[in-house]
Amino acid sequence: MGNALTALFALALLAPVAARADATELTGQIRSYWINRQTADTGPLALANAIQPGTAGMDGATAGAQAELRASASMGAVQLHAHAGLQAQEVEGSRADTQSRVNEAYAAGQALGWQWSAGKKIVSWDVGYGFRPNDVVQQEVRRTLTSETPEGRPLLMAEHFDADTAWSVVWVNPTQERSDTGAQEAALAARVYRRSGAVDWHGFVRQGEHTGPSVGAAASWVANDALELHASVRAYQHADSSVSTVTDGSLVNMNPWRAHLSGAGQQVLIGGTWTSETQISVLVEAWHDDTALTDAHWSVWTARNRALPLWLKQGVPTAAVAGNLAWQGKAFGVSNSLRQDNLFVRLSWQQDRWQTALDVLYTPADQGTVTSASVVWSGERFKLEAGLRTHGGPADAVLRQLPVQRQGYAVAVWAF
Amino acid sequence: MSADNLQVDTQVSVFNTDGTPDKQRRYTVFAQSERKSLVLMQSPMEKGQKVLMLGDDFWLLMPGTQRPMRITPMQKLLGDASTGDVATMNWAGDYTGQVVGEEPCQPDSKATCLHLSLQAQRKGVTYQRIELWIGKVRHEPVRADLFVQSDKLAKQARFVMDKPGNPTTVAEMVLVDQLSNKKETRIQYLNRKERTVSAEWLNPMFLARNPALE
Repeated sequence: MGNALTALFALALLAPVAARADATELTGQIRSYWINRQTADTGPLALANAIQPGTAGMDGATAGAQAELRASASMGAVQLHAHAGLQAQEVEGSRADTQSRVNEAYAAGQALGWQWSAGKKIVSWDVGYGFRPNDVVQQEVRRTLTSETPEGRPLLMAEHFDADTAWSVVWVNPTQERSDTGAQEAALAARVYRRSGAVDWHGFVRQGEHTGPSVGAAASWVANDALELHASVRAYQHADSSVSTVTDGSLVNMNPWRAHLSGAGQQVLIGGTWTSETQISVLVEAWHDDTALTDAHWSVWTARNRALPLWLKQGVPTAAVAGNLAWQGKAFGVSNSLRQDNLFVRLSWQQDRWQTALDVLYTPADQGTVTSASVVWSGERFKLEAGLRTHGGPADAVLRQLPVQRQGYAVAVWAF
Repeated sequence: MSADNLQVDTQVSVFNTDGTPDKQRRYTVFAQSERKSLVLMQSPMEKGQKVLMLGDDFWLLMPGTQRPMRITPMQKLLGDASTGDVATMNWAGDYTGQVVGEEPCQPDSKATCLHLSLQAQRKGVTYQRIELWIGKVRHEPVRADLFVQSDKLAKQARFVMDKPGNPTTVAEMVLVDQLSNKKETRIQYLNRKERTVSAEWLNPMFLARNPALE
């Protein structure tokens, strides 16, 4: 509960400021949710638990409530913003806990024709929906089960705008340790945006503290009244990854997965959205992601999954086999994409207060699928949301090996 | 609404076919010259949403993501009052018109109005064709039939003027949906003033920075 005060502190800081501010604004929401999960009966984690129950931790049904507050105050040329949340959650089989989070807390202003921001802020770039190669500052996790506000990154940012062009320079995670990886890595990033009629053009560069340089480009084109097409590409010198030091079926006595700086690679996305007069929308996206494990890596991984249980017949302690199988689950966290090639299709329909959606993520290499269906009802201050997500495909598809195979959820939001 | 650059606080109220209230939304609209508009959603559930319209080009910013997204003209046709209904303060720049003749102001009234047929000059506008009836003396709008791209009658509008005896500006526009639910939508212009925003406000990437305190 102690760190709950930290979150509220950011908002409390605005209180004395608000008393002297030119303008203030306070908004927020209360959100309660329930998620039910059906764990897998296949895959290395399920097998580890079958051999020795409790080896691999898997979240059960979860219920919780979140309170979020946004506050803004303007004092002359300086604006202050804070967005903090407090969450109480209970996971089946564990005790309830309370967490707090400061999503955003920053000051912003203008000097010498440039806009500046300093503090913790959400800075989202790129043009895609299911995958964003050039979201190099926020690095938001995509296709989450329920929509949640991401947590901003500590940064210093300068931006310059004219009618059709925007320049942004960001120093993100300026105080992070050199060992921090992924979205926590300290980096300098820049974006240039140019509007040219029906096309938005974006150019990106990033210099990561240890991943080095990357360059990218993206475009979004409204081809006609109903059709929008977009594409994004990024080439990088290195990416944070991890590899297993064991490539056969042998047993080891410590986690074989090690942090690894991969070589050069590319991420490519193409997609489009079509919307009808009756508000039926179809989104199709395909992407290639070199940061994901290769087909060869997954073949080795699958072979090891099959080989490890054979040790049981040779009298090896069950804990050793179960532990080695549980470590195999580290492969799921190597990249945001499990497989390098992906296809995503989303069909949605907006009718009055209701929005329904059905989407499928398909990995052609092994025919794995993740299918999600959702329905949202929005009122004046209340929003209700419910959905289901299920994994499908052949039994050896990577998506079928994930520890949770089916999820159902319900969310209620009250905004003020 | 004669000024080219305006800031308008707008309230949209939707009523069911039996007259009971369905929903209410608030918007702040910065309507600028050359068909440029910035719409800030102000209702609790939509707070932080922004729509930018530059001629036939549209962008949407959803709260939380802080990422402006390019959207198609079809994607702005959301809800009972489309964003186009809310943001468009002036039809003159978007349509060419011709006088059809003198006709009853209302189908069952004796007073006569001028009937104008307006044809969209570009495809990005919300309605491709508008049949408009205006007063013969002061040329104030009285009612309109609004047709979408497929030439289906989408909505019927009637206008409430600020001073019925000496109308100077539209105080309220009442839209009745003709495509699906027959609901009635009232767009009330609560407060309006001349306001010219800086050019950078109308840069799509500036949506993530626009002050929320307007």
